[in-house]
Amino acid sequence: MYRIDRRSLLRTGLALGAGAALAGGSVRAGRAASADELTLYNGQHRQVTDAVVAAFSKATGIEVLVRNGSSPQIANQLIEEGDLSPADVFYSEGSPPVAALAKRGMLAKLPAETLAQIPATYVATSGEWTGITARARVVAFNRDLVKEEELPASLLGFADARWADKVGYAPASDAFQEQIVALLQMKGRDATLGWLRGMKKVGRVYNNNIGAMQAVERGEIPCALINNYYWFTVAQEVGAAKMRSALHYIRHQDPGALITVSAAAILKSGRNPEAAQRFLAFLVSAEGQKIIADAMAEYPLRPGIASPYALEPFDLLDPPPVTPADLGDAAEAIPLAREAGLA
Amino acid sequence: MSLAPELRADDVRPPEEPRARGALLGREEPGMADLPLRLAVAGDAAAGDVTAGDAKTLPAAGRSRRGGRGRAPFWLLAAAAVPVFLVALPILYVLARGWEAGLAAALALLLRPRSAELLANTLALALAVTGLSIVIGTACAFLIERCALAGRGLWRTLVCLPLAVPAFVSSYAWASLGPSFQGLGGAILILTLSHFPLIYLPAAAALRRMDTRLEDAARSLGETAPRALRRVVLPQIRPALAAGGLLVMSHMLAEFGALSLLRVQTFTTAIFQEYELQFNSANAALLSGVLMALCLPVAFGEAWVRRDQRLARADRRSRREPPLLPLGRVQLPAQLGLALLAAAALGVPLGMLGYWLTVGLSAGAGAAGLLRAIAGSLQLSLGGAALTTLLALPLVLLATRFGTRFAPLLERLPYVVHGLPGLVVALALIFGAIRLVPALYQTTALVFVAYAILFLPLAQSALRATAELVPAELEQAARTLGRGPLAAFAAVTLPALAPGLGAGMALIVLELMRELTATLLLAPSGVSTLATEVWSYTNDGSYAAAAPYAALLVLVSGLPVYVFTLRTLKQGRRGA
Repeated sequence: MYRIDRRSLLRTGLALGAGAALAGGSVRAGRAASADELTLYNGQHRQVTDAVVAAFSKATGIEVLVRNGSSPQIANQLIEEGDLSPADVFYSEGSPPVAALAKRGMLAKLPAETLAQIPATYVATSGEWTGITARARVVAFNRDLVKEEELPASLLGFADARWADKVGYAPASDAFQEQIVALLQMKGRDATLGWLRGMKKVGRVYNNNIGAMQAVERGEIPCALINNYYWFTVAQEVGAAKMRSALHYIRHQDPGALITVSAAAILKSGRNPEAAQRFLAFLVSAEGQKIIADAMAEYPLRPGIASPYALEPFDLLDPPPVTPADLGDAAEAIPLAREAGLA
Repeated sequence: MSLAPELRADDVRPPEEPRARGALLGREEPGMADLPLRLAVAGDAAAGDVTAGDAKTLPAAGRSRRGGRGRAPFWLLAAAAVPVFLVALPILYVLARGWEAGLAAALALLLRPRSAELLANTLALALAVTGLSIVIGTACAFLIERCALAGRGLWRTLVCLPLAVPAFVSSYAWASLGPSFQGLGGAILILTLSHFPLIYLPAAAALRRMDTRLEDAARSLGETAPRALRRVVLPQIRPALAAGGLLVMSHMLAEFGALSLLRVQTFTTAIFQEYELQFNSANAALLSGVLMALCLPVAFGEAWVRRDQRLARADRRSRREPPLLPLGRVQLPAQLGLALLAAAALGVPLGMLGYWLTVGLSAGAGAAGLLRAIAGSLQLSLGGAALTTLLALPLVLLATRFGTRFAPLLERLPYVVHGLPGLVVALALIFGAIRLVPALYQTTALVFVAYAILFLPLAQSALRATAELVPAELEQAARTLGRGPLAAFAAVTLPALAPGLGAGMALIVLELMRELTATLLLAPSGVSTLATEVWSYTNDGSYAAAAPYAALLVLVSGLPVYVFTLRTLKQGRRGA
C-alpha cells in the first residue's frame, strides 16, 4: 500500500486541472474563422451528415465544423445565441425547428437555383429553408403479435379501447407534433383533441421513435406510430432477415400517411454566407442527394435519385395534402397536447 | 444560545457544540442520551482543547477563527463573489424567462392536472429511491464492516462498483429486458441499484470510525446486541446516512437520461420535453422554478444534517477494531443477497454491453473516434472538477471560518441550483456568455463554468467536512510566524484540506464524465466525450457502435470510483 503525501496530491491535482484548462484554451485558438470554414449545427442523424460533409469538403476544400445535438435543442440554442451565433448552416432532422427560426426572421433566403432542385411541395413558401429528404409516418407492427389486416384503416382508429396498451407512440417527438398539426388542419380541433385524449388513455408513451420501434421489434408492444426509416435503422442493426416487425402504410390520404421532411437553412447572422450557399447547393445536388440516400432510409427529395433501401415506392404512399410548409413550426400542437395531458 | 454562557464556562469547547449535541440526543433518546454525549464530549475535548480556550479569551479580536464572528478579509469576499455570481446566473435566467410567460399562463401551466402527475412521480421516485438506497446501503455496510462475512474484501469492491456504471447505461440494459422493468416501479428498482453505493460508502466510513466504546458501554449496561445496535450504532451513522440520502435525492430530482429510457415523467423530463416541443423557453423556465423549489428542502436539509455530524466524530486514540458479529445461519442468505445485488447492479448492464457488441451489426462503426472521446472526457471532467473545487473553496472558508450574516444563505444557493437540469444551466450560459464574454463562448472554459455551477455542492460538502476539522489556530500560528494571510492559508489550511479534496474531486470527476446536455450545448464544436458519443450512437439505434464507448465510460469511471472509495473509507479508518 503506497501513501500519497497531501501536499503532493494537491500539487498533482492542481497541475492536472491547470493542464486541462490550458489544453482547453488551445482548442479555441485553433478555431479561427476563415473563408474556407463553415460552422454547421447538425440535428440530422449523424451518419447522414458525416457522409455528406466529408464529400462536400473533398469537393470544395471547405472545412466544415460540425456541432451535433437534437434539432429542437439546437433551435433553442440558436434563438438564445441570436445575432451572435457562430453557426452558418442548420441541418435539422425535421422541418418545424427551421420553420421556428424562419418565423423569428433568423434565416437568409435561399438562392432560387437551390430551391428549384427540390419539388415546391417540400420547400418553404418564403424560400428560407428547403426539404432535403422525406419520410412517411407509418405503423410498425410485430408480426407475431398482430396481423396487418387487423390494424385500423385510419390513424384515428388507434385511439380506441380495443388498442388499449397495444400501441406505442412518442408524443415528445418532432414528428408527432407534425402529426397533431396535420390532424388539426384536416379534421379540426375537436376530432384532434378527442384523438389525443384517446391516445393518452390507450397508448403507451415512449421517449422517442427509435425506442418505440425497438419495443415493437422486441415484442414488447404489438405496434407503434413512427417514421418509416426507424424500421430500417433497427433492421441495419439486427439484420433485415431477422426482423419480426414490418411496416404498415395507411395511405388513402389519411393523416396517418403524412409526409414529413428533414430540412436545411442558412443563418442570416452567419459569417460565411458564400460557403453556406455552396453547402446547401451540395445537399440538393444529384451527388449530395445520392450520398444522403445511401446513408439513411429516407426518400431523397431530388427527382431521379434512387434509394438503395427497399423503401415503399414514394408514389404509392398516397399522403394527405398537408405540406411541411403548412405544418410550420408546429406550435399549434402544443396547446392541444397540453389540453390532452400529453405535454 | 441562551444556555451557552454557563456551558462555556467550564466546558473547553466551541460554543455551539454541546448545545447541538445535547438537544439532538435529548430529543431522540431520553434514557440513553447522556451516555454517548458525555463520552463524545470527553473524547473531543481531549483532541481539540486549544480551540475553545482561544475562542473564550479572544472574543472580539476580529481574526479568522472557527465559529467566530470575525470580519472576512476582502480577498475572500471577492473570491466568494465569483461562485455566487455564477450560480445566480441560471436563477436569474429562469426568473426572467418565467416572467415572460405572464402570471395567467404561469398559473394555467402549473395548476393543470399534469403538474400533479409530475409532482407525484417526482416525489415518489425521489423518496422511494432514497429510502431503498438507505436500506440496501446500510445493510451492505453493516454486513461488510461489522459482520464476519466471508469474502469481505471482495464484497467491498463489488458493492462500490455500480457507481462506475452510468444510470443511462444500466437503464437501457434493464429497459430492453421488457416492459415490466419500465415505468415508475422499474425506475425505482434500477435507480436504487445504481445509487445505493452513495449510501453504502458514507455508512461504511461512519461504521469504521465509530467509537465502539459506546456500544461496549451500552452492552455493559445490560442492552442486548440488537438493542445496542438500534440505540447506539444507528444514531451514530444517521448523519452519514442523511448526507448520502440527500445526495441521492438531489440526483433523482435532476435525473433525465435514465428516466426517459424507462418512460417515467418527472419535472426534469418535462423540462426537456418543453425544449423538444417548442421554441419558447418560458414554460420550461416555470417548470425549472418548481424544480428549484423542490430542491430547497434538500439544500437546507443538508445544512441541518451537517449540524449533527459532529456526533459521529470520535477521538481516534480510543478506537479499536470492532469485533465482527458472527453470522452463523445468516451467512448463506447474506452471501446470496449480496450476489443477487451485484448481479443486478453490475451483471445486467455489463452483460448487455457485451450482448450489443456481439449481436449488433454496427459494431466497430465509431472506433475511429474512441481516442478523441476519451481525451475529451478526461479533459473536460478533470478541468471541470478542478474549477468546481477551486470555486467552492472561498464559499466553504467563508461559511466555516466567519460568521457573516449572509454567508449561510449564499452558501446554500448552489444546492438549489444543483437540482436544475444541465440543459437549463447551459441555455442560461449561452444567453449570458455570448453577450457578456463572447470570447469564452463555445470554449472548454465555459463548459468548466457550467460544470461548476451544476456540481459546486459536491465540492462544498466534501471540503466542508474537512475544513471543520482544521483548527483556524494553525493558520494563525503561521501568521504569527510572519506569513501573509494568503501564504498562511496556502501553507497550512490548503494541504490539510487535501483528503477532503481527493474524495470530493473524485466524485465530481465521476459525475462530470456522464454529464450530457451541458456538454452537448456548450463544448467547442467538434469536441466529443464518451457520454456524448454514447448518446449520439444510441440515438441512431447503433447500439453496437455505442457499446465500446459505454464500456470505456464504465472503465474510465472506475478510476474516480477507486479514489473516491479509498479516500472515503480511509477517512473512516483514520477517524478524521
